[in-house]
Amino acid sequence: MSGPWRLPSGGLIDRDTTLGFRFDGRGMRGHAGDTLASALLANGRRLVGRSFKYHRPRGIFTTGSEEPNALVQLRSGAHQEPNTRATVAELFDGLTATSQNHRGSLEHDLMAVTDLFSPLLSAGFYYKTFMWPQSFWEKVYEPMIRSSAGLGRLSMQDDPDRYDKGYLHCDLLVIGAGPAGLAAARAAGRAGARVIIADEDFLPGGRLNSETFEVDDTSGVDWAAQAAGELATMDNVRLMTRTTVWGAFDHGSYGALERCTDHLADAGERPRQILWRVTARRAILAAGATERPIAFGNNDRPGVMLAGAVRTYLNRYGVAAGQRVAVFTNNDDGWRTAAGLAARGVGVSAVIDPRDGPAPAEVPGARILRGAQVVDTRGRKGLRDLQLSDGSRIEADCLAVSGGWNPNVHLTCHQRGRPAWNEDIAAFVPGDTLPPGMTVAGAARGQLTLAAALKDGHDLANSIVADIGLAPSKAPLPRASDERSDIAPLWHVGASRKRAWVDMQNDVTAKDIHLARREGFRSVELLKRYTTLGMATDQGKTANVNALAILADASGKSIPETGTTIFRPPYTPVALGALAGRSRGQNFRPVRLTPSHEWASKNGATFVETGNWLRAQWYARPGEKGWRDSVDREVEMTRKSVGICDVTTLGKIDIQGKDAAEFLNHVYTNAWLKLPIGKVRYGLMLREDGIAYDDGTTARLDENHYVMTTTTANAVLVFRRLEFARQCLWPRLDVHLISATDGWAQFAVAGPNARNLLRKVVDSEHDLSNEAFPFMACGSVTVCGGTPARLFRISFSGELAYEIAVPTRYGNAMMGVLMEAGREFDAVPYGTEALGVMRIEKGHAAGNELNGQTTALNLGLDGLISKSKDCIGKVLSQRPEMSDPDGLRLVGFVPVDPSQPLQAGAHFIDTDAEATMDNDQGWMTSVAYSPSLGHHIGLGFIRRGKDRMGDVVRATNPVRGNEVKVKIVSPHFVDPAGERLRA
Amino acid sequence: MPDFVLTPSSPLGGFSRDFGPVRLRELTDLAIVSAALPLGAEDAAGAALKKAFGCAVPEPGTSAQSKDRRERLLRLAPDQLFILFDHATPDAEAAIAARLDGAAYTTDQTDGWVALEITGPGCCAALERICPIDLHPKAFAVGQFVRTSMEHLGSIILRSDEDTFVLLSASSSAGSFLHAVETSIRNTC
Repeated sequence: MSGPWRLPSGGLIDRDTTLGFRFDGRGMRGHAGDTLASALLANGRRLVGRSFKYHRPRGIFTTGSEEPNALVQLRSGAHQEPNTRATVAELFDGLTATSQNHRGSLEHDLMAVTDLFSPLLSAGFYYKTFMWPQSFWEKVYEPMIRSSAGLGRLSMQDDPDRYDKGYLHCDLLVIGAGPAGLAAARAAGRAGARVIIADEDFLPGGRLNSETFEVDDTSGVDWAAQAAGELATMDNVRLMTRTTVWGAFDHGSYGALERCTDHLADAGERPRQILWRVTARRAILAAGATERPIAFGNNDRPGVMLAGAVRTYLNRYGVAAGQRVAVFTNNDDGWRTAAGLAARGVGVSAVIDPRDGPAPAEVPGARILRGAQVVDTRGRKGLRDLQLSDGSRIEADCLAVSGGWNPNVHLTCHQRGRPAWNEDIAAFVPGDTLPPGMTVAGAARGQLTLAAALKDGHDLANSIVADIGLAPSKAPLPRASDERSDIAPLWHVGASRKRAWVDMQNDVTAKDIHLARREGFRSVELLKRYTTLGMATDQGKTANVNALAILADASGKSIPETGTTIFRPPYTPVALGALAGRSRGQNFRPVRLTPSHEWASKNGATFVETGNWLRAQWYARPGEKGWRDSVDREVEMTRKSVGICDVTTLGKIDIQGKDAAEFLNHVYTNAWLKLPIGKVRYGLMLREDGIAYDDGTTARLDENHYVMTTTTANAVLVFRRLEFARQCLWPRLDVHLISATDGWAQFAVAGPNARNLLRKVVDSEHDLSNEAFPFMACGSVTVCGGTPARLFRISFSGELAYEIAVPTRYGNAMMGVLMEAGREFDAVPYGTEALGVMRIEKGHAAGNELNGQTTALNLGLDGLISKSKDCIGKVLSQRPEMSDPDGLRLVGFVPVDPSQPLQAGAHFIDTDAEATMDNDQGWMTSVAYSPSLGHHIGLGFIRRGKDRMGDVVRATNPVRGNEVKVKIVSPHFVDPAGERLRA
Repeated sequence: MPDFVLTPSSPLGGFSRDFGPVRLRELTDLAIVSAALPLGAEDAAGAALKKAFGCAVPEPGTSAQSKDRRERLLRLAPDQLFILFDHATPDAEAAIAARLDGAAYTTDQTDGWVALEITGPGCCAALERICPIDLHPKAFAVGQFVRTSMEHLGSIILRSDEDTFVLLSASSSAGSFLHAVETSIRNTC
């Protein structure tokens, strides 16, 4: 037998399968079907952890996800998971668990001394203590508090498990596979609806597995197994065990966490957990109810448990939670624990019921104490005896407590619904405002008895089935009877002098609640935050209602007047790994590769991320000592002969339609109606507020056919904006857009030998002479013997330059062909760094200048705003603030001492002025070492820049602590007359 | 004979793998040409499309097959269609344009997309991990398609047969897309 407290028979465990496990290094045995909690209890283990604040000895309190006490560290090494509830950890062979939150052993926790100081550690103590001396905070108090805080420990290693996500859809989502849920899913499944039924437990049945009820003349356990078996065979039903529906979100979507391998010693290659998004036309919340305790003196000792949990350990796991069990209950349900234990031969020392009246059940051998209450308990590491309100003592190693049952209304409140108070069961039930599509059935709706719950699930499912247009099945309602469930509310034994725990997980006592109220924290929301009540892994599932009843009592208000805190997702903890899913490391986001990526990888490229793209930043050659060597060489070789750069990442938008020119005229600042076929034009776009937005070139390929290029960063944004303009602003224009960014591999071929190189690649029938194909020409050509291509004579570098585009399938080959053809010219591939250097040398604005704060006037592009037509942003670009003649202008800067480097981000201050914000004249936007000039150059905005050529100012960088004297010059450092690009 | 030869390569180099209950392969010869219906001349464009393909223009959000079943027309938007067909050479647009004779604006989309075909009894379970769309045959019948996003990547999913789907996504991120689909298969097989 697996442990001294395991009963010789009974339970839903597989006694033929014995599983070995270790707790705090000690080997124990359990059975398949056990949880870690039931196996520990079977081994007679009551003390399993230490409490959060006072390091009080704690034991197992519940059997489910509401467990506040029995938190352990599961597994070891990188797989270690802290703060796992032993009550939901399925036992497997080889499981290792350790207790948490103690220094020294669990039995002799040195930190237990804090319990002696408890009068100093009352609610909100950390707001009141540690106030002086102030200098102690950072060095002494905070490190001390931090080292004491938290329960379990992280492994500090990467999580080696895999996680996944997924999407599910159904007509009806049934949340919970207890009697109401099973009845509902079966009715809907039989009617042909697409049903998903999910339960956090590994065994469907809910409370049926904990009780000895009968349904349809068979045991409740067998009925649940049959119902689940039937559901499992239905093609239209998906029965998901080990799956918690943890949140109700918009439009009928629900979050569900499936624990796929947590019950296995080794997950293998399978994902450990899957985070599902379930989209359901309708949902039935059949989440059952959670039993609540009663607060009385020292009610937190190991051995004090919920009465329903004691019954579960007895009936489902075949474990006696104690050898001499007492029951303290204010309702009829608690009596069934006493009767059940007695029937199985477990000693029941007493049943204590504060109510008067005849006993609801026979409990042979037990003292029946009506009108009595428990005021205190004794037993250092586990319950030994308890004291009643009349001063008498009763021996017990387990006290089963029941204060009634709280319907699990959590998911009904995830969209701000508020629960309503039901006096009959002394509990909150779902309010009127539920998430759309949700209905609540069974105990979750306050139908706490079996026949009522079955009927509720069955009937609600049938009405939903009819509502969605299916014929309800004629199958009869499962037959059962309703058990007795009378209750007289009791939240807190007022006669108790000793500390009475309300929230065990956060060590909040009834006294703390009174104190918080006296200190002015009268709203439950404030109470929660001041005392920490209802926080952490259990979210106060066993604590909240008691706490607000105590607060209500102290305030002289009713419970509904006092109200509840807001329930938010998740219902139970969700691992961050599951929320991240696959989005970790290199899979955090997609990667876009340029067509020549493979070629670049083989030819020494270093890559840089630009958005999702990986672009070649430079191509190192043997012997080069650093990136500057490579970049300088690429610039020099390009300007001397020819260089090739993959510029595919620039956005390409294919624009067609009879009104395409008019459309371009609306979205660009400059004139587009007269652009001839076969020509390219530079264009500038403004935002609606007149700020410069994006720039690029647009080529006219045919009468009604244009191709626009955008900056890499704005490719998607510009496309989206143009779609908006087309569909919403000018729906009567015949214009059609489609992205062509990925469809064409495009290469800049720049430098004095660009034409000579291209002549070897472009088929000879195409005349590339300056006369036939001048600057800003474009057209369709063929390359390498007939492959379609597009050629644009545009230049970002300022050199004689082209961009040639081929269908992407030829991109990688094209890079090789261009290099091969360029060998006789010493052609070089160049990356984004050299591209940037050359555009700065040429004075072209890029992202650093088009930063969302600058205007066309600032950029020196005001001449591009056509006076004779309107365009997006034109009117607002003419606001006085934006036309300030003394405003910022884009100019060039060179260091007065050419040996000095420049830094982007430096601010300009007059030579004799103090470096303050008031004296700020502007800032440096882009800098580079110019191999062409042999020193650093910069672009930047400075007040009245165009009128200040030759002035010297200071470029100060207080962040990096340096300052350089710079001279204002033209931004066109190389070939200002533009002779090269027209050559 | 030209001095230089351009050798084409598909985004995934012709990927093909059998995972048991699921087979995944790149459709290397699938051509895609978009056709935009000119404003005010939609009827004429519809007639030209019908003449060219022998089928009525599908309603927005639905697809149709040409009479000889060589092309599939996806009506992606009120004024936009994708025409999918097998065509290995880089002149798919010209081929369609010639058949429509200027009645619609055509753009070659072939090289902008990667096409994967996922097939086999396990394909729905695998797709469940990345595809937010309800793929139940009642909700997504053979011939249906939808634009969606999988693992942050814009994509089009088309049910070409009961247990076969064609997935289209951007060619530049083909590697990430393949990884997403492959991971989904591995996580379910």
